Amino acid sequence: STATLESPINLKSMSLDCGKKPVQAQLARANSTQVVQFTTCELSSKELLLQPVIISRNDKEKVLIEGSINSVRVSIAVKQADEIEKILCHKFMRFMMMRAENFFILRRKPVEGYDISFLITNFHTEQMYKHKLVDFVIHFMEEIDKEISEMKLSVNARARIVAEEFLKNVSFSNSFTCKTLNKDDQELKYDFHCFLFFCCSSENEETRKNAFLLQSWPSLWSVHIRGDKL
Amino acid sequence: MAYHSFLLEPISCHAWNKDRSQIALCPNNHEVHIYKKDGTKWTKIHELKEHNGQVTGIDWAPESNRIVTCGADRNAYVWTLKEGTWKPTLVILRINRAARCVKWSPKENKFAVGSGSRLISVCYFEQENDWWVCKHIKKPIRSTILSLDWHPNNALLAAGSCDFKCRVFSAYIKEVEEKPGPTPWGSKMPFGELLFESGGSPAAAQTSGGSGGWVHSVCFSHSGNRLAWTSHDSTLCVSEGGKNGTLTSLSSETLPLLCVTFITENSLVAAGHDCFPVLFVYDGAKGSLTFGGKLDVPKQAAQKGISARERFQNLDRRASETQNTDKDLNTLHKNSISQISVLEGGRNQCTKFCTTGMDGGMGIWDVKSLESAMKDLKIV
Repeated sequence: STATLESPINLKSMSLDCGKKPVQAQLARANSTQVVQFTTCELSSKELLLQPVIISRNDKEKVLIEGSINSVRVSIAVKQADEIEKILCHKFMRFMMMRAENFFILRRKPVEGYDISFLITNFHTEQMYKHKLVDFVIHFMEEIDKEISEMKLSVNARARIVAEEFLKNVSFSNSFTCKTLNKDDQELKYDFHCFLFFCCSSENEETRKNAFLLQSWPSLWSVHIRGDKL
Repeated sequence: MAYHSFLLEPISCHAWNKDRSQIALCPNNHEVHIYKKDGTKWTKIHELKEHNGQVTGIDWAPESNRIVTCGADRNAYVWTLKEGTWKPTLVILRINRAARCVKWSPKENKFAVGSGSRLISVCYFEQENDWWVCKHIKKPIRSTILSLDWHPNNALLAAGSCDFKCRVFSAYIKEVEEKPGPTPWGSKMPFGELLFESGGSPAAAQTSGGSGGWVHSVCFSHSGNRLAWTSHDSTLCVSEGGKNGTLTSLSSETLPLLCVTFITENSLVAAGHDCFPVLFVYDGAKGSLTFGGKLDVPKQAAQKGISARERFQNLDRRASETQNTDKDLNTLHKNSISQISVLEGGRNQCTKFCTTGMDGGMGIWDVKSLESAMKDLKIV
């Protein structure tokens, strides 16, 4: 029905559903046939490769499925709307890819243009249920956006708390001009930047730590500053 | 239906002896194990250890009681039973890639091996030198041979390959047999002659988006006039030889089928990645191939009704009304079925067939009880 297709959430579930069949189909393949000495994932002939399939929601979020006679590579490009999401996604994926050995089906490096890649070989399908593998990949795609949003929220929340604590302990000397947010944001930010710069070489360790932290999160500078405290 | 779980590992390949009391199978490693039927149980009686690579094909010659095995180590062995143990004889196949499938010819004086070297080795025994000699069929094979089947006349050989084609070759070896008579597939049959080639090519598949696929399995009918093959694009094709040779194909909605066999001259059973066997019916007069039905009897799962609220929720979340979580496969086999073999009745009046798969299990299917269990199922 049209209502289902237009809803953005359902577009994603549609793509998840669409993703399931191709992934299932691609997971259907046999042992490697080109054996020199050991069975490898390297394929020497073009006819042993299947047509790659891309399922995309838009050009930033997509899934690439490349199949061959003995393996399937599923690469995911995750939605990254802003800087924080980019950093979070990058770190999250890196965390998992460094432990790819324990993951079995994860690839150490993502395919060019994507954020994470799975490599599922015939060995994996011999040891594990195929329908479970498919369910896992789909579940992964569902959860990844949720996790990154959650992480972003918690980062912002933590940074807000840190900024508040930091600014509670700080007293401005007279040589810095500070205006409230309502008047001139630009000047405030500029002066705040100088202020932080000096705080980074403060003798107080707490001040130093918090200053460094605040420097790396420019988006926090819109924290409400109470005039009398400063 | 009987199901026996042999192993946790996939069964790579299997073969039955003549009276179906013993089965030889490869438990996804370098060995071949022979099990003997003991009432309802199966006991392992032999372990054949000679290969250095995974055993990819086994065939048991019913009359001469010899087993031929081929493996990823590029070798084939012919095993003969001497004083209660199986003794291997190495066969030099002269291939530089893994062997993929092996089949005894109907008269058991030859066998053919398909390999990743893009050729078929047809081997016969040379009495003077007391060893197995092989001849190669190379042209025009462009990729790995995945499956082989002999025509009942002992001379023609069908081969399914990764270059998307199914072909019929002549494997007539003048040293061991008389010249065969003409068949609907052709009359001139020097060794290596190509008598039939199906359509489909990798290039066409790339451009037209998937017409054709790796040919996983080929099978001649009992008379030898019909040839069926399954392909990775989920199709089943049947071809009838002859001047008015026809080619019919059916795209099934299932995942690709890995194995197929005729159970009568008009009915075929195939199975593959969907984990259950399916029936197909071929009508020679009309030249049509139809889907006959799914042959698994699922366990009657407790069907709880879905409330309207759940329907809406599922629609919202998954764009489908039901929760197809498929926590458990409700089929006999829990993983892909890779091989199917006829147990009783031959290919024209099959009454029992056997399936083995990647779940390490073996299913024995009784055709009569299947017919009665599923209404609308007709095996013609």
